[in-house]
Amino acid sequence: MRTNLDRRHFLGLAGLGAGAAALAACGGPSTAGTADAVDAATIDFAGVKPAASIAFWTNHPGKSQDVEKAIIDKFHAKFPDIKVNLVTAGANYEEIAQKFQTSQAAKTGLPGLVVLSDVWWFRYFSNGSIIPIDGLVKQLDIKIDDFQRSLVDDYKYDDKQWALPYGRSTPLFYYNKDHFKAAGLPDRAPATWQEFAEWAPKLKATSGAQYAYIYPALAGYAGWTLQNNLWGWGGSWSKDWDITCDSKESVAALQWAQDSIYKDGWAGVSSKEAADDFAAGITSSTISSTGSLLGVLKAAKFNVGVGFLPGGPEAPTGVCPTGGAGLGIPSGISKEEQLAAATFLKFMTEPENTAAFSAATGYMPTRLSADMSAVLAATPQIKTAMDQLAATKVQDNARVFLPGADQEMAKSAAKILTQQGDVQATMTELKKTLEGIYTKDVKPKLKA
Amino acid sequence: MTAPLIHNSSAPADRPATKPPATTPAPAPAPATKPTPERPRWSGRSRKDFLVFLAMALPNLVLIGTFTYWPLINNIYYSTLDWTLGSASATVVGLQNYVTFFTSEDAAKVLGTTGIFTLITVGGSMVLGLLVALALNSKVRGTTFARSAVFAPYVLSGVGVGLVWLFIFDPGYGVLAWILRGLGQQSPQWINDPQLSLVMVIIVYVWKNLGYCAVVYLAGLQSLPRDVMEAAALDGANGVRRFFHISLPLLSPTTFFLLITTMLSSLQAFDLIRIMTPLGNGTSTLIYEAYLQAFGAYNRAGYSAAISVILFAVLLVITVLQLRFVERKVHYS
Repeated sequence: MRTNLDRRHFLGLAGLGAGAAALAACGGPSTAGTADAVDAATIDFAGVKPAASIAFWTNHPGKSQDVEKAIIDKFHAKFPDIKVNLVTAGANYEEIAQKFQTSQAAKTGLPGLVVLSDVWWFRYFSNGSIIPIDGLVKQLDIKIDDFQRSLVDDYKYDDKQWALPYGRSTPLFYYNKDHFKAAGLPDRAPATWQEFAEWAPKLKATSGAQYAYIYPALAGYAGWTLQNNLWGWGGSWSKDWDITCDSKESVAALQWAQDSIYKDGWAGVSSKEAADDFAAGITSSTISSTGSLLGVLKAAKFNVGVGFLPGGPEAPTGVCPTGGAGLGIPSGISKEEQLAAATFLKFMTEPENTAAFSAATGYMPTRLSADMSAVLAATPQIKTAMDQLAATKVQDNARVFLPGADQEMAKSAAKILTQQGDVQATMTELKKTLEGIYTKDVKPKLKA
Repeated sequence: MTAPLIHNSSAPADRPATKPPATTPAPAPAPATKPTPERPRWSGRSRKDFLVFLAMALPNLVLIGTFTYWPLINNIYYSTLDWTLGSASATVVGLQNYVTFFTSEDAAKVLGTTGIFTLITVGGSMVLGLLVALALNSKVRGTTFARSAVFAPYVLSGVGVGLVWLFIFDPGYGVLAWILRGLGQQSPQWINDPQLSLVMVIIVYVWKNLGYCAVVYLAGLQSLPRDVMEAAALDGANGVRRFFHISLPLLSPTTFFLLITTMLSSLQAFDLIRIMTPLGNGTSTLIYEAYLQAFGAYNRAGYSAAISVILFAVLLVITVLQLRFVERKVHYS
């Protein structure tokens, strides 16, 4: 049969190609050989003059747009020759990463400074998308020793510093003081989940809220907050590069979480944002980032309490992961832009600016010398986040270094916590997936 | 060789005007002893027509070539690479990305989700669209407003629609949860449960797109020959019989058109899935899986390109099958 290219056929065929257009619109890679390694010689900034203008890509973590604008205005006053354009490059860390990776592929439109989350910076490093900033730290005399050591060390690899901490957080236990009081409970966070399991039925019975506790939204970094449960039971997503999510300790932790929803009936799972659910009074307690603190305090029409994350039967303390975002400088821009970006990076992380950022969002101050007295007088709850930093633990490699692992963990958590899936089988399947990602995407890029 | 017949508008009035080429071949002329030179194929008028055609079509062809077919060809090349998005280098792996997809557990899951999503959304939009069109075709008050109301969701932004429906489905403070609580029921986990997520997205997709089917069907219904319907009514055929034996067969060109367009757009549905289920948990159709693999957390650009090519092949096969086989069933007049 002969088919004419009439209008109907033509329209049909034109529609077919649309799906492939987005990816192919990017620039292509070189297949001539590896081009990822950052040459040490290219990071010498002697004699370089800062560029007149750079873009700062941010997702405004913790609703920080106003404070970011204010800091940039101060920067312009101090450095009138460098203009910083504040760009909303996404609504969350994933969207900003998507834009950044796409610009890398297109080899155009890169920012001077970019917000990078705990799960993204290593990928940028392994792709050669960001530069080590040691040379700039030295040249601009950035007081690296005045930063919170553990937060700075999160961005170290191969004896080089790849980023500096910015909107850094830990999860906090948020509770409704009024509900706790009505239930006759002490005005504090539970020391362990076992203690909370004793409190929960009383809370559910007296509060009128739907849940005594709500698990964070599974689409929003479930792998991050569930580390608290895993570590409390002696489990983990991984130990170094060994995937341990299917160990009996890890399975026991997630089984307990599943039981709190299906067997005991006092817990639920947030659909979008646990902090919003908590502020709306749907639940008596939850776990959410310190970056949500100011938003919760503003929105909640009840007394809000915060505390350390509860421990578990195997580990009563030291069960809190760090998280949040840092700032990095792309490799695909000119040295002039990199120097201007580093000048802004230094200013952004000055003690008074980190204090201002902390006051506006609830994120932890990243500098030891930051004067937090006025901030803590206005928002004493931030002190809890600061104190908890001493009890934090480095996140599991599987979550922060395996591309897509956080999403796979969220899917598995959804199966367990919303479909009552078999915990052991789900974790066994997850282990297989994570090992596949490690073998294919990470192992070849690790230094021997 | 048959000499071309040229329409001669300046023929004398007493002579019949020459005709344009007839469908039946003219008798072959006697072989000439001396070959006569062939007249140029293009007269001035033809050349002018062709230039007009070029002027009209070329900009569009250039745009479609640049933004559709060139990326498509590029994409096929990328599908042969092991390329991490954001990395400046890649390795040529031939067909390995295709092998990986078809030998992974994801393939069945993704193809299954794509099939379910497409079948239900296309079927749902068309059946409900036809029912709505029948209702709108009746001569009662308020149909003009009803037509606008039914069509409005189709022209709304998918992002806005997705966000609003997310609030409606939210098990914590959504309208649906509020209604269910009033009835003493807990809201299902529409957003977290992968199976319910798919149901949720399908419901919203059908709601958004049935207006398109309704309006196209309405146009089809209004163009049906009234004399045939009146004759059938006089012959005693009731409304149901008239619909199934006259209206529906006569609507087959409309149905065929809708089948192609809704299936193509359903297979390329993206905005609602992206907004309502960003992780694609349970809703990862071929196109969304391609997006997630490249631009989501995995950054597997080559693998994603392979999935895009597979989607292209699926669309091509479906379109060809529809044009070849389904169209035969269409009753055009």
